[in-house]
Amino acid sequence: MMQNKILIANRGEIALRIIRACKELGISCVAVYSKADESSLHVKYADEAICVGEAHAVDSYLNVNNIISAAISTGCNAIHPGYGFLAENEKFAKIVEKCKLKLIGPTSEIMKKLGNKTLARKIAKDIGIPVAEGSDGPVDDIAVAETVADRIGYPVLIKAVSGGGGKGISIIYNQEELRKLFELTRHEAEVNFGNSQVYIEKYIENPRHIEVQIIADVFGNTVHLGERDCSIQRRNQKMIEEAPSPFVNNKLRTALGDAAVRLAQAVGYQNVGTVEFIVDKDGNYYFIEVNARIQVEHPVTEMITGIDIVKEQILIAFKSELSFRQEDINFSGYALECRLNAEDPNLNFRPSPGLIRNLVLPGGPGVRLDSHIYSNYRIPPYYDSLLAKVITYASTRKDAIRKMRFALEQLIVDGIKTNIEILYLIMHNTNFVRGVYDTGFVRDFLEIIKGE
Amino acid sequence: MNNIFEDRKAKVETYKKDIRGKKEKLFKVDIPEGLFVKCEKCNEHLFREDLFSNYYVCHKCHSHFRISARERLVLMTDDDSFQEMFSTLKTVNPLNFPNYDSKIKKYQEQTKELDAFVAGTAVIGGEKVAIGVLDSFFMMGSMGSVVGEKATRLIEHSIKARLPLVIFAASGGARMQEGIFSLMQMAKTSAAIRRHNEAGLLYISILTNPTTGGVAASFASLGDIIIAERGALIGFAGQRVIRQTIGQELPDDFQTAEFQLKKGFVDMVIDRNNLKSIIEKLLILHKRKETDDKHE
Repeated sequence: MMQNKILIANRGEIALRIIRACKELGISCVAVYSKADESSLHVKYADEAICVGEAHAVDSYLNVNNIISAAISTGCNAIHPGYGFLAENEKFAKIVEKCKLKLIGPTSEIMKKLGNKTLARKIAKDIGIPVAEGSDGPVDDIAVAETVADRIGYPVLIKAVSGGGGKGISIIYNQEELRKLFELTRHEAEVNFGNSQVYIEKYIENPRHIEVQIIADVFGNTVHLGERDCSIQRRNQKMIEEAPSPFVNNKLRTALGDAAVRLAQAVGYQNVGTVEFIVDKDGNYYFIEVNARIQVEHPVTEMITGIDIVKEQILIAFKSELSFRQEDINFSGYALECRLNAEDPNLNFRPSPGLIRNLVLPGGPGVRLDSHIYSNYRIPPYYDSLLAKVITYASTRKDAIRKMRFALEQLIVDGIKTNIEILYLIMHNTNFVRGVYDTGFVRDFLEIIKGE
Repeated sequence: MNNIFEDRKAKVETYKKDIRGKKEKLFKVDIPEGLFVKCEKCNEHLFREDLFSNYYVCHKCHSHFRISARERLVLMTDDDSFQEMFSTLKTVNPLNFPNYDSKIKKYQEQTKELDAFVAGTAVIGGEKVAIGVLDSFFMMGSMGSVVGEKATRLIEHSIKARLPLVIFAASGGARMQEGIFSLMQMAKTSAAIRRHNEAGLLYISILTNPTTGGVAASFASLGDIIIAERGALIGFAGQRVIRQTIGQELPDDFQTAEFQLKKGFVDMVIDRNNLKSIIEKLLILHKRKETDDKHE
């Protein structure tokens, strides 16, 4: 029997997650690592490990030549990019394809279509999926701004093209405010980002970030695995995710799932992906973008569907047919995920790499830990600060929250600063417990904590 | 700490060998030929498509790959704007030089060119120019009667059509197989450039790697603006000849583009990735000058 062999072009918990899937499937796997990651767990548990360069990601995990050479020299016939790094890199995907290796993910052609956000929005619009209306490009003068705002209706946002971190954004409720704030926002953008260009987008009040997991084989079977609510985020960095969303009712669930599947079919999507929506307080949804890769928060969907998404994506890449159809998917129970990060909440969440002196892990039924850390492991300062994903699963949302509270009580990471206390406090926040929150939750919550 | 992982791995492997005991067979992956190109300077493997979009310049060490005249035209002119002229001129063997005919034939087959000079008109950044490119893959771009004749006709055409002239030189010098006929081309092309100059037209000469010998000593050095491409070897005689003649050691950077810039032999040294935009700018600046003249 011929054996498949996969190169895992990533590090940290996701590399380990992929190794676990490979082991269960009986597929050999090769880890890659930078010089700063020699003592990383994925290096220890893969069948083979190969160094691909210096500590900085550009020289190693983003070094296309070295990654390809590593795959070829170890006899791999497929590459799993994980998330971040080279995942969703269209050029990398193209090179992998030209080398006649399999990329575990959608094709470079699909990536190209979806990577261009204007094009992706147009495709969605063409098949009748609502998108957040906007100027579709920079607006340089007030007359054009007024026309756009009139077309899409107030309230609107003026947003700096190069903006971020909440700066260079103005919420506009009427024409008068638009006239007053247009030049001011441009000026603020110029001062903060050195680029005065702004665009206009429909403002969605109290939005929730809700995304739908899709999975499609090469035979045209496309299935959605329900939604995840990722509204608990700090500066667009997700902190806590859950499935199903406490906000989404069955009608909306069907509508979102249906939209996601139709969009996937419209672009001929293959492998796993996530269709992101913004949902307003009245349940109107707007398509944002498609993430053409496995996502950090995939475990909550795995918990409520019983489907191993990473295993499925590997099988699909090797041309297996999906073993289930939409009607086979049953959602049961509730799952929560907390992202434990090496960062210091007292220093504005600054990364806090360093030595983990001691580590105690939570356990028990319905508690899952996806992590690459261990006692005496030194976290290198070069990469993202994700330490562990604590996932709890129970038949009711309330039980899942209770389980999460005690899981976090058990979890001890000694030696470095983490955000565990913030996560723990959120698990006790009334609004969170009631399931009433939007993407502004963490910002408001941190304000309250600061006040006390 | 690492020992616990190594111990475990060793144990697991022994168990596996005992239980399974068979070696796995892997799928063979056949990577198509020519997908990657190796940089001769730094040994980096470069994806061919990337190399093209980077003007055949290595991403890592910035060394400039040698390119053919046709590739040069694709990179330096606006899409599909090149119209070839004098394409039927063909070398004969005027001195019955031994083996010259077969050598020419071999290069013609290899490069798909009749000789080492490609001439015509093209558009660069919207500006029409008369353009000539020497091909170093054809007998090292050496100048025989065909190269000289095509260059001269191109210069004469640019005078007649009042076009700016752009020539990319790449040559080892005069073609020795044609003897005195070769050397005559130096005078002929230089005289043509003089007439071009008297007509008040712009001539931009770009010296690419290598520009030496009779070409360096004639039309290539007569540009109104002389640009050296980064990394080009520019000089008349070879380094070994000079060393032996003058009996002195030569400086390390002798005959490099940068050396010639320091000595005032060239006006600027430009990376190939910026070359087209620089030429565009020069053409536009020159055009303004000419319209001003007319108004006076």
